[in-house]
Amino acid sequence: MTMFASMTLPAPLLIEARTRSGKPDPMDEARFETFYRRTAGSLWSYLYRLTGDAAVADDLLQKSFFRFLRAKPAVVSDEHLRRWIFRTATNLAFDHFRETKRERARSEATVRSESGPPMEAREVLRHDMMKTFSELKPRERALLWLAHVEGADHEDISEALGVKTKSVKVLLFRARKRLGELLTKKGLAPEVKP
Amino acid sequence: MNHACRRDTEIVRAAAQDRWTEELRAHLTECEDCMQAAIAAPWMERFSRISDREHILPDPSIVWLKAKLLQSSADVSRASRPLDIVQLIAYTVVAGGWAALLTWRWDAVKAWIGAFTPTSIVTNAARAESLSMSFFALLFVLASFTVMLALHTIMAEE
Repeated sequence: MTMFASMTLPAPLLIEARTRSGKPDPMDEARFETFYRRTAGSLWSYLYRLTGDAAVADDLLQKSFFRFLRAKPAVVSDEHLRRWIFRTATNLAFDHFRETKRERARSEATVRSESGPPMEAREVLRHDMMKTFSELKPRERALLWLAHVEGADHEDISEALGVKTKSVKVLLFRARKRLGELLTKKGLAPEVKP
Repeated sequence: MNHACRRDTEIVRAAAQDRWTEELRAHLTECEDCMQAAIAAPWMERFSRISDREHILPDPSIVWLKAKLLQSSADVSRASRPLDIVQLIAYTVVAGGWAALLTWRWDAVKAWIGAFTPTSIVTNAARAESLSMSFFALLFVLASFTVMLALHTIMAEE
């Protein structure tokens, strides 16, 4: 399974994307809007889970698309563009972590600050899950989200995170193990009976 | 494909949807990778379902417009970079020129400046005469450059 393999661009969009010379055209506003509407939601969810902060996720989302447009990507395939934007977003998120160097404290502070007024059950669940996820390292979060939610294979993950494809296997195993340990510690681990 | 285990995808799907077969369960006993995947998958599935729908994303046309504006401003700053460099060099040259000129004839300049009183203009005029025509020519050129540079800076900022 490749990342976002189930999604393809509508045929007219791909056809229009080709010039007479056969080379792909840069993206125009209409194509961008189509691409944005398909990608922005899942990209925001990824950035939000990665950073634990909605405002930072907003900021990084916009920066990702600004970079995307500045790079004037050619419409080759939907998968290619989505890989590109997820890789850019991941790089920006990691840059953000490096710049602040307090991402864990910030995530925890954000989660704490949200715990002011009484929360609905759904909010409590979200709060607890976000807190648990924020206890993982940024790279572990990215790995788990890309592998489990975006359905990315090792090659896609290695491209997004800038690590060797062979390393993904080990890193993903460690990330899962760490999540498992956290869930067990909190009594949230699902019962898996072999 | 380069999964940890060839059954990784199946295990993740089975764990996320809680649809196990005996064969997959049996596989868990012999594969540590898949066991970890089976623990993580249901939680990740629930976690991904937390609704983000209340969050309003920026409109694509706004993002497009902002990107274009940022691009324009980046283009302008890229285009004006050579001018900025020339301006910086000009500042350095003019400042260096003033420093060199004043150092060269500092004593005479001091006397000349001291002569700017009604009585001294007459009495010290002889000492100021030691300043040659070339000095005054250089002074004029440097002063002109300074004024032009200042005007350019002001106009460029405006």
